Amino acid sequence: MSIKVYLVDDHRLFLSGVRAELDSDFRIVGAAYDVDTAIDEIRALRPAVVLVDVHMPDGGGIAVVEGVTETNPDVKFLALSVSDQAEDVIAMIRAGARGYVTKTIEPDDLADAIRRIDAGDAVFSPRLAGFVLDAFAGAIPSDDDPELDQLTSREKDVLRLIARGFAYKQVARKLNISIKTVETHVSSVLRKLQLSNRHELARWASKRRIV
Amino acid sequence: MQPTATAWSLDLHRRRSDRVVAGVAGGIADSLGVRDGYVRAAFVTLLTIWGLGGLLYLLFWLATYEKVEDRPNDPVENIRAIGLGISFTGLLFLLGAVGLWPSAVVVLTAAALSFGTAALTDPSSPGPFAALMNPEVEKVGKARLVLGIGLLAGGIIMFSAAIGQVFELSVVFLAVFLTGLGVFVAFGPWVRRLLGDLSAERSERIRQEERAEVAAHLHDSVLQTLALIQRSDDPQRMAMLARHQESELRDWLYGTAPLDGVDLVSTALKQAAARVESDFQIPIDVVTVGDVAIDERTRALVFAAAEAMVNAAKHSEVDRISLYLEVEGDEVQVYVTDQGRGFDLEQVPSDRKGITESIRARMEKVGGEVAIDSIAGEGTEVMLKLAP
Repeated sequence: MSIKVYLVDDHRLFLSGVRAELDSDFRIVGAAYDVDTAIDEIRALRPAVVLVDVHMPDGGGIAVVEGVTETNPDVKFLALSVSDQAEDVIAMIRAGARGYVTKTIEPDDLADAIRRIDAGDAVFSPRLAGFVLDAFAGAIPSDDDPELDQLTSREKDVLRLIARGFAYKQVARKLNISIKTVETHVSSVLRKLQLSNRHELARWASKRRIV
Repeated sequence: MQPTATAWSLDLHRRRSDRVVAGVAGGIADSLGVRDGYVRAAFVTLLTIWGLGGLLYLLFWLATYEKVEDRPNDPVENIRAIGLGISFTGLLFLLGAVGLWPSAVVVLTAAALSFGTAALTDPSSPGPFAALMNPEVEKVGKARLVLGIGLLAGGIIMFSAAIGQVFELSVVFLAVFLTGLGVFVAFGPWVRRLLGDLSAERSERIRQEERAEVAAHLHDSVLQTLALIQRSDDPQRMAMLARHQESELRDWLYGTAPLDGVDLVSTALKQAAARVESDFQIPIDVVTVGDVAIDERTRALVFAAAEAMVNAAKHSEVDRISLYLEVEGDEVQVYVTDQGRGFDLEQVPSDRKGITESIRARMEKVGGEVAIDSIAGEGTEVMLKLAP
């Protein structure tokens, strides 16, 4: 059974393009151009994966992620954006999105990312990997949960390779580990990104308002 | 403006807008169909006759209501204004004849000065420059101008004579001084209007220049790209053009492109990547972590990275190149990665070897390291590193 996918983007032309690309591999159950319609329809249609644009009027992708997660925590989100604003991307991930890719992504890679998100993994584009490395760089403040506030050196290795443009499979080979282990590392980084209250994260994001 | 006869209306009121004291003079002017300036001048003149002007003003104020008019009536009938002027002059001299003038000099000076000023500040006066230069200015306007200047000069001379008598000063000196003052007062509004026109013209010119600059930029960038896209039938190339144009426009709009020279390595690398993108029609994903200022060593790093990108674009036969910059502490690393056909370092054709050697030479000159990792069929990665 193919994966149920829902699309949210205020840019209709882009939306129809993505829809055409994904139509053969997935069951596109619906699409919305605005935040409110998106939240209502996703609650009713219960897709497995939602592709959501970061920048939209009335609160943007974050409003959709937060609105849906409140009632349907099982719906998974992949943020898709033309914006490279670190602040927005990090905010989307912290709101609950499980991945972020830019709109210039190749159709095959996008399909791959959707399958990965559906399987419960995290999807990091090279750019997101760079953001995370940047945000977690520097000295660690003593905090109640240092484990959450710091990346392990293995996690950094994985992120660096992703930032250099390697796919998970290639990362695994370069580090002599299994793809599953790469996925575990990435999911662990995602969890840290979502839960860490490292104050640098906020400061870093606001510092890089426009990237 | 087409003259329209204003009917006599004894709708005595006070003006709410465009008033000096309480709108009484304005209201009377509206009723009589003359310029408010002349009515004001009449009140000022009467004020010199034992304060009669003030008393009348008060009476009118009590007897009238405040009218919220759309706008003051536009007085146009010169004949009526002249008639009213003659009547007022008669009234004035009548008051003098019955011995009510406190001093002929004061009353006549006040009358000359106030009516002269009113004539010169009449909005329908042509202005001295226009009257002199432009033969088409209406006769009435010219007459009004001459009358105003004459009255003002007469008033000033009378005033000077009176003051001179009282204080035993040189009448000539006073007259010259006061005439200068009078000219300043009379011509002030026109000078101000002229300066206002100049500054309005200047801001309009600045707006025009800005618009021209925006238009020029859009013409050089977006329009050219759109034209190229229209003529291109290769979707890959179209996407490339659009992508490059988008990033360029974004830089321009949000000011991420430095205006006066590049000062950060990340910016310099992004610009180098953008150039390679447009020269070779290959997208380059740039990811940067940390940043550092441009100096002699990092400049060499940027050039070396640019060459590595050109290399990848020319030889890898891929549709995508990755550029990764990481600055950690004093260490700067750049990776240029492609997943193209790769090559065997031992069997590099000589032309290509030259380029890799020049990357190496650049980096070694500034004490940096180069590592080239290439596997045939899998891709190439060039690592550039600067450590202190």
